[in-house]
Amino acid sequence: MDTVIVTGASRGLGRYCADQLHNGGYRVIGLGRTTPSDAAFETRVTDVTDAASIADSISDVRRDAGVYALINAAGIASMNLVVTTPAATVRRIIETNLLGTIYCCQQVAPALIKRGGGRIINFSTLGVRLAIKGEAVYIASKAGVEGFSRAFAREMAPHGVTVNTIAPGPIETALIAKVPKKNVEEVVSRQIIPRQGQPEDVWNILSLLLSPAGAMISGEVIHVGGA
Amino acid sequence: MSVPYDDVERFVRDEVAALTSKPGDEVTPETVLIGSGRVVDSADLVMLLLSSEEFARERLGAAFDWTSDSAMSQARSVFRSVGSLARHLTALQTT
Repeated sequence: MDTVIVTGASRGLGRYCADQLHNGGYRVIGLGRTTPSDAAFETRVTDVTDAASIADSISDVRRDAGVYALINAAGIASMNLVVTTPAATVRRIIETNLLGTIYCCQQVAPALIKRGGGRIINFSTLGVRLAIKGEAVYIASKAGVEGFSRAFAREMAPHGVTVNTIAPGPIETALIAKVPKKNVEEVVSRQIIPRQGQPEDVWNILSLLLSPAGAMISGEVIHVGGA
Repeated sequence: MSVPYDDVERFVRDEVAALTSKPGDEVTPETVLIGSGRVVDSADLVMLLLSSEEFARERLGAAFDWTSDSAMSQARSVFRSVGSLARHLTALQTT
């Protein structure tokens, strides 16, 4: 049974994808700051901003050729004007979203190389394309993820590993429940497909990238809904 | 009992020879692994590091961290040559 490591698996899109993967027959190792008690898949408490924490958390599988994919869904956001965002918040967003993604890739890539193939799927946001006001720091962190992923894709290609980024708009999950409806509608109206995405829209793209049909897709940023 | 340097160097030389399809006697401690004149490409280097990590764990009883600061500098990197990598692996036994 192939193993998929999913960060941010305790809630939101990470949780949704982890559930789908588990139901689809993968062994899922969900990493998160907390471990949900109702998860049917294996969960481990991990701080993705700490490379040593990641290494400890997956020490039993980080060189295991049974690992097929890494999905970096862990992320945090803080909607605020740049000039009123505390420095500590800026640092936390960059550390979690960008450094967390890089650290997890560093820790899991050797297992995929050893296997001779696999998938890495990172998460960005439609906001990078749309340059949404009030999300500059969050967008900066995700733009970093996109650049990292494209360059890392070249590094991993000789080993048969694809690296792609999924960039969703405001997907209907509990995480955006507190965002004013007006703000969500404004972003959705700027998408090429002006409909609010559902978790399954993201899952459909993710499952394509994971499948054999995704073998020639690498270094891409796929915008859910278009931008 | 610790593994002597010569045995570690032989392991690295054999690995490099296998990765590059070179005759074993053409791989020496001076054989360059990174930078100008290197004999392995980046993909082969990663494979060498993977096998070195396994060798360190199983034969030397030590952990080999690829991401140490010394790996960043071509001048100081433990990956710069067959000999420097072998010396680094050997030294892991005493740290």
